Amino acid sequence: MNDPVTLTRRRFLAGTGLAALGLALPGSLLSACGTDSSSGSGSANLKFWMDVAGAANQDYFKKHVIDPFEASQSKIKLNVTYYSGADLRRLIQTALQAKSGPDVVRALSASQDLAWVRSNLLADLDKYAPKGGWKSKIAEWALTPFTVDNKIYALPMREDTMMLYYNKTVFDKNNWKAPTNRDEFEALATEAKGKGLIPIGGTNSTYGASSEWLVTFFWNHFCGPQPLYQALTGKLPWTDAVFVDAIDLLQSYFKKGWVAGSTAKYYSVPQATVSTQFGQGQIAMYPDGEWLMPQLSQYFGKAAKNDNDWDWAPLPSLSSDVPPGLFVVGVGGSYGVNAASKSPDQAAKFLQWYYSDKKTAIDRMAGSPSTYNIPIAIDKSDLPSSMDPRSARLLTSVQDALTAGKFGYATWTWWGPKADTFVYQGVDKVLNGKLSSKDYCSQLNDIFQQELKAGNVPATIEPKPQKL
Amino acid sequence: MTGWLFLAPLLLVNLLVIVGPSIATVYYSLTDWTGTGSAKFIGLSNYRRAFDDPDLRQAVVHNVIWFVLFLTIPTIVGLLAAHLLSSIRRFQMFFRTVFFIPYITASVINAFIWTSLLNPTNGIGVALSHIGIPFFKNTSFFGQPNLALPSVNFVVDWHWWGFLAVIYLAAMQNVDPALYDAAKVDGAGKWQLFRHITMPGIYPTLVFMFLMTIIWSLKVFDYVYIITRGGPGGASQVISTLMYDDIFSKFEAGYAAAIGLSMSFVVAIVLAGYFYLRKRGSEL
Repeated sequence: MNDPVTLTRRRFLAGTGLAALGLALPGSLLSACGTDSSSGSGSANLKFWMDVAGAANQDYFKKHVIDPFEASQSKIKLNVTYYSGADLRRLIQTALQAKSGPDVVRALSASQDLAWVRSNLLADLDKYAPKGGWKSKIAEWALTPFTVDNKIYALPMREDTMMLYYNKTVFDKNNWKAPTNRDEFEALATEAKGKGLIPIGGTNSTYGASSEWLVTFFWNHFCGPQPLYQALTGKLPWTDAVFVDAIDLLQSYFKKGWVAGSTAKYYSVPQATVSTQFGQGQIAMYPDGEWLMPQLSQYFGKAAKNDNDWDWAPLPSLSSDVPPGLFVVGVGGSYGVNAASKSPDQAAKFLQWYYSDKKTAIDRMAGSPSTYNIPIAIDKSDLPSSMDPRSARLLTSVQDALTAGKFGYATWTWWGPKADTFVYQGVDKVLNGKLSSKDYCSQLNDIFQQELKAGNVPATIEPKPQKL
Repeated sequence: MTGWLFLAPLLLVNLLVIVGPSIATVYYSLTDWTGTGSAKFIGLSNYRRAFDDPDLRQAVVHNVIWFVLFLTIPTIVGLLAAHLLSSIRRFQMFFRTVFFIPYITASVINAFIWTSLLNPTNGIGVALSHIGIPFFKNTSFFGQPNLALPSVNFVVDWHWWGFLAVIYLAAMQNVDPALYDAAKVDGAGKWQLFRHITMPGIYPTLVFMFLMTIIWSLKVFDYVYIITRGGPGGASQVISTLMYDDIFSKFEAGYAAAIGLSMSFVVAIVLAGYFYLRKRGSEL
């Protein structure tokens, strides 16, 4: 399905003519690499750049997304090109700026979408919403960060949350139970370390932004949703002691050698090694997102030639102010339509199809755990019996947390782009002793307030029961 | 006129891919451009900010450290290897090929090899500790702030010295053999031959590689980005990775353009010095 970028001689000459004038070079040349779609007859050959990694996952994407869509109608084809996540972010941004790139735009975060909306690079999807029934089918909370000036510019691709994975075999062997509060969590970490295990797994070596997952964990489960909501809406500064204390606590866990074995190992051991250690029972617990779930089958059981098993539990609350069973919510990327697309209607048709049929969506969720978890209302009875019960429990648990108002905020969804970048880059300095927690929060506050003032923080939701 | 016509296509391409973006970069460095959308003119604010930016200062220091390591280690090893190779006839081509392989291997492959070898959990350190050499057992080369930059530099030096060895060997083979014979007749030893015949003979090559090393040290990006992405906590951040971050993570393309232009200015000064010395008749 890969579609090489084409540059015709006529387009090249047109582009070079513009470029000779000086400033238009990058845009004009990339414009020459534009879509070959045609909207006149309703037919189109849509460009779609995705970050699905690995042959098996790409095959699944083709069989369960591309092929069914193309079979559902005869005029629109999807030309998919696969990139790594980091490349995709860079390439799409450059292409969009050049009024080129994919027709269906896969963005990696809500804050990235917001920056693109401010630059008029994404099409307004409001006119397509009634036909797609998006406002009734997609949970309102998940549409909120993609709504700018009351208009929808993108649709949530994946419902994100964080959980505490644990090696069930190791836990059973030691008669351990998944911790629900800080005392239990710390007692377990101490005992696991005493037994020569790494109590809390994690690595920043493979994905540079992964430190923000730990910040998300500690801010939500130590501070609680209410202070975070107030800070996200500008009513409470990030310099408040509650945020500083949470970072201090995180740092103290590193200093005790609970996370990854040591700070240096957290920054140098690759993800594959850490996952192997987890599967082999050298790591007891692993706080991470739902995206880890599909990878775990490689490291546990027959595939990994061991007899171990894994399970997950909600992240423990780290203060008495935070009730147990809280789930962070966020959105793992989005689908939108390129404002410069020559076939916006056809691109929107794909989005309408993707979110239209609940059963197909649930089949995808069942077939590939967590990867295709779009935020739609799901009843327990909707889920097929063939679905991994851990995956099914995740879907219903997050939904229950949302309807009960027991949810927190993922930094990669509800923070502005610069503040979000500082969240993980700054905390790396804290963990390496180059910045104090207080200065970290102070610098974050400066960046966040500037973005809030400029309207560059995604719209947020109140920490109260949500309608699905 | 015919000459200009022959040159015209190349000049046109140069105008399009060098001059156009260069002018655009100058313009954007004076704006608050985010990398998308329109840009607002803000004068020299980006340049003033660069002077006060602690992250940039740190990155500049890292580039200077990088330059010193990148200039000395591969040059010394490359010269030594070239000198040893020049004294053998059998297997010379074999060794030249072996030394050259890391240079032609993709940076991502080299980076993967070394991150695996230096993995603190199951890499060389652990293997050595099993045979009674515990020195590197708990060393995280890419994870400890004091080791990250020199460790990445080591990987780059490792892939680079073989290339230098081949270049220096080629230069050494162009030194007139009669000079060596004459020096030997005068009783010169091996070190004296190297110091007084070989080194002056390859001096233009050495100076050229020195010049290129300065430029490459400022441009270093791929290995740092692949292995540590400037981490941990900025400990291996260099100017180019900082710029990349400014553009694609912080949406500060205007500021990144100002940093990039400043880098180009430094390179231009180095080149100007080189050409000035050449014009003055120095043997460069």
